[in-house]
Amino acid sequence: MEAVLWYVLTGTRGGPNRARILRALDARPRNANQLAEDLDLDYKTIRHHLDVLTDNDVVQKSGDDYGAVYLPSERARSNWGTVEDVLEKVE
Amino acid sequence: MSLWADAAKVATGLNVVLLAVLLAVWVRNYLQFRSKHTLGLALFCVFLLAHNAVYFYIYLVDPMLSGWFSTAVPVLVWRFLMALAVFETLGLAVLAWTTLD
Repeated sequence: MEAVLWYVLTGTRGGPNRARILRALDARPRNANQLAEDLDLDYKTIRHHLDVLTDNDVVQKSGDDYGAVYLPSERARSNWGTVEDVLEKVE
Repeated sequence: MSLWADAAKVATGLNVVLLAVLLAVWVRNYLQFRSKHTLGLALFCVFLLAHNAVYFYIYLVDPMLSGWFSTAVPVLVWRFLMALAVFETLGLAVLAWTTLD
């Protein structure tokens, strides 16, 4: 899991924004719309990053509906030390 | 000049381009995150880029060597060189796909 976190968050072009999303979701679960507003990113960009983060089991979805909120996954939680090392480096 | 040689040259050129793009992403991320993982990716990228740049130089740029490679290298050798270069292109294309995603 650690290697996945490092790659998804620091080895890819979208990594820094994914890290910002993960930090926002750690502070409070949100849906894609709220993330787009809070982080001042395009809704489509947020959707794409959420898909990548969900595919890699870094975040999980709560509820199946349109407004489903996202939160850090169990796996991300159990490697939170690694996540914090990464989050320290984003604005 | 054989088809194998042409394919090897094109693939080597593509490798240089793909590696330059990957290197840009990883160097930028390394400067931000300072993680050993990103540094490892960037280093790997630099060395593979050097490898492909040298081949590109030998195949197409150097006046003497490119002439020699075009005429004196047996087809069997070109087939091997072509296969290696094309496999690298495929691998790098997948890596670029996940990295730029």
